[in-house]
Amino acid sequence: MNLTAIENKVASFRTIDKLEPEWLYNLRKESWEFYNDAPLPERVTNVWRYTKPENFLVANAEEIMNTAPLIPDGSNGHPYPKNSEYSAVGYNREDMMTMVKIDPAVAGQGVIIKNLFQAARENEDLVRQYFGTMVAPNFGKFEALNMALWNNGFFIFVPDNTVIEKPIALNRHPGDNFSHIRLLAVIGRNSQVTLVDNYSCSGRAESGVDNSAVEIFGGDSARVKYVNLQRLGPQCIGYITQRARIGRSGNIYSIYGATGGAVSKMNAGTILAGRHAESRMSGVIFGDKNQHFDYHTLHHHQDNESYSNIDFKVILKDKAMSAYTGLIRIEKDTINNEAYQENRNLLLNKGTKAESIPELEILTDQVRCTHGATMGPIDPQMLFYLKARGIGHEEAVKMIAAGFVEPTIMQMPNELREMMRGIVTDKLAGEQK
Amino acid sequence: MSDKVFSFKNIHVVVEGKEVVKGVSLEIGQGEKHAIMGPNGSGKSSLVNALAGHPSYAITEGEAYISGKNLIEMDATERAKAGLFLAFQYPLAIPGVTVANFLRAAIKAKHGGDETVLKDFRKELTDKFSFLEVDKTFATRYINDGFSGGEKKKIEILQMAMLKPLVALLDETDSGLDIDALRIVSNGINEYAPSDGGLLLVTHYQRMLNYVKPDYVHVMMHGQLVRSGGPELALQLEEQGYEKIEDEVFNSVEV
Repeated sequence: MNLTAIENKVASFRTIDKLEPEWLYNLRKESWEFYNDAPLPERVTNVWRYTKPENFLVANAEEIMNTAPLIPDGSNGHPYPKNSEYSAVGYNREDMMTMVKIDPAVAGQGVIIKNLFQAARENEDLVRQYFGTMVAPNFGKFEALNMALWNNGFFIFVPDNTVIEKPIALNRHPGDNFSHIRLLAVIGRNSQVTLVDNYSCSGRAESGVDNSAVEIFGGDSARVKYVNLQRLGPQCIGYITQRARIGRSGNIYSIYGATGGAVSKMNAGTILAGRHAESRMSGVIFGDKNQHFDYHTLHHHQDNESYSNIDFKVILKDKAMSAYTGLIRIEKDTINNEAYQENRNLLLNKGTKAESIPELEILTDQVRCTHGATMGPIDPQMLFYLKARGIGHEEAVKMIAAGFVEPTIMQMPNELREMMRGIVTDKLAGEQK
Repeated sequence: MSDKVFSFKNIHVVVEGKEVVKGVSLEIGQGEKHAIMGPNGSGKSSLVNALAGHPSYAITEGEAYISGKNLIEMDATERAKAGLFLAFQYPLAIPGVTVANFLRAAIKAKHGGDETVLKDFRKELTDKFSFLEVDKTFATRYINDGFSGGEKKKIEILQMAMLKPLVALLDETDSGLDIDALRIVSNGINEYAPSDGGLLLVTHYQRMLNYVKPDYVHVMMHGQLVRSGGPELALQLEEQGYEKIEDEVFNSVEV
């Protein structure tokens, strides 16, 4: 594609859709202008140092913006299966748009899971209060692009004091062109939920640019587990911006798994907005062939006595590349915050490349903060331990590499573990390229 | 080549460019228990690590045979498959690999990938955990990850018990054990040590030899075996310390 031509083509935004609330239309229009006015991000900050922003430009913006958002039948005519591992399953697909199936018992608790566009009309006050307030149009050029063009997405609302035992699964299947999708989740006070946000290509979509924006709001004392899996097809380009905000005594555990895509860029962050808030993040990236991963994390401590911890693991094989940049920001006049960050990179062969950049913006003295990074091949001592028990070299390498990410995989919901182990095993078994 | 179950001759070992074992020979016959005792830095751990095929310990000279098979030409995996076992002095944690899965993989590898050998695995593992007074939940814990010193050594002996080697080299298995753990680990060695093979204990102290009675005791100093004898040699060392022998052998005290 001719990037210069794309940049110079500034189309005027479409007219309002008859189903679209005016505030949403205005937000989109404003975002479109922001997108067009904003220059490409300069590659001087760590967030943009490792990946070309041109990857995420769209070629057919006008076509996308004129695709009217659809509101399909939510049930698809089938009752929710009784023995499902999930309390609700949502699908974003290019052809069938957004579809949601929810366990009637969960729906009976007042939980809402629906098409975001539909929610913008039907739950207007609620959506309007939160929507686009963290991943806002002015967040960045590509976040503005998402806001202008999104036509697929979910809205999740969990009322106060509601425990949802089984995870909610969101299956995102972007098409082979350009997809702009969103998630807005509002979790009430003292409530508990697990969200699985799973990006994979539907069979025929081998390529495409997938731009996603995720906003999660956790009320005071809410407990949220958020699992973000990027398993896009080998030609796909992924761009995900995710923010969570947790309140007083709120707790979030975010797990990021990335094994797919040609170029995969994610900006993931939690804002610890209340006292005694706790945020943990775990990451597992496994890159092979020519895959390129660029993951950024943010822990932003805004109140006192909050705790954050990051354990980010990367395995690289063949000619794969990973850049991990992690920002910890602790506001001034706060006390007794704790923030920990660890990034470990296992390089299975020469020719792989890993970067690890911790960034600390600590504006107060009363704080406990550590960070560490390692990168290198498999520890020869570990290899010897396995070989001394009769295990062959290749097998020992596979066991140690799979073991390296296993503790993180164990933190994922049951039904995802075998899938993730399978991906890891397949990648390890693949002949070195 | 000797017809003994395990033998090595004139072994020299170099670590980081420095020769730490300087021509050590030993023959272990079927059912024999040998102990090598020596002060810290005498080269005894280097010797057994080198024999097991540790990549940092290079055997630069010498021969070694297990059941008549030439050990020197084998890598660590092949040595283990030939029946050699090393109980590590400092067992490493392998995160993400459970004790049970590790043992399954090792037993399978030893039998050329044959899964049928795992038929009674569960029960055997449970029985051996029980004998070694290890909680059976350790089966699903990651190897040595967060284990205490005693637990690590018990798991080493458990591995020996499950893998049933022909020759076991135990590298300071008594170090870091309290009295109770020492008794349990020693009982484990007596129960599970190769009965028709050979056992070589490497230790600094005599105390373990109160439980595991060796047939032969050898003293190692400055990379060489300087004395060999029966169990009484260990008691003599306990009373007199290593210095006296050092004086006699090297005829001067190094300063």
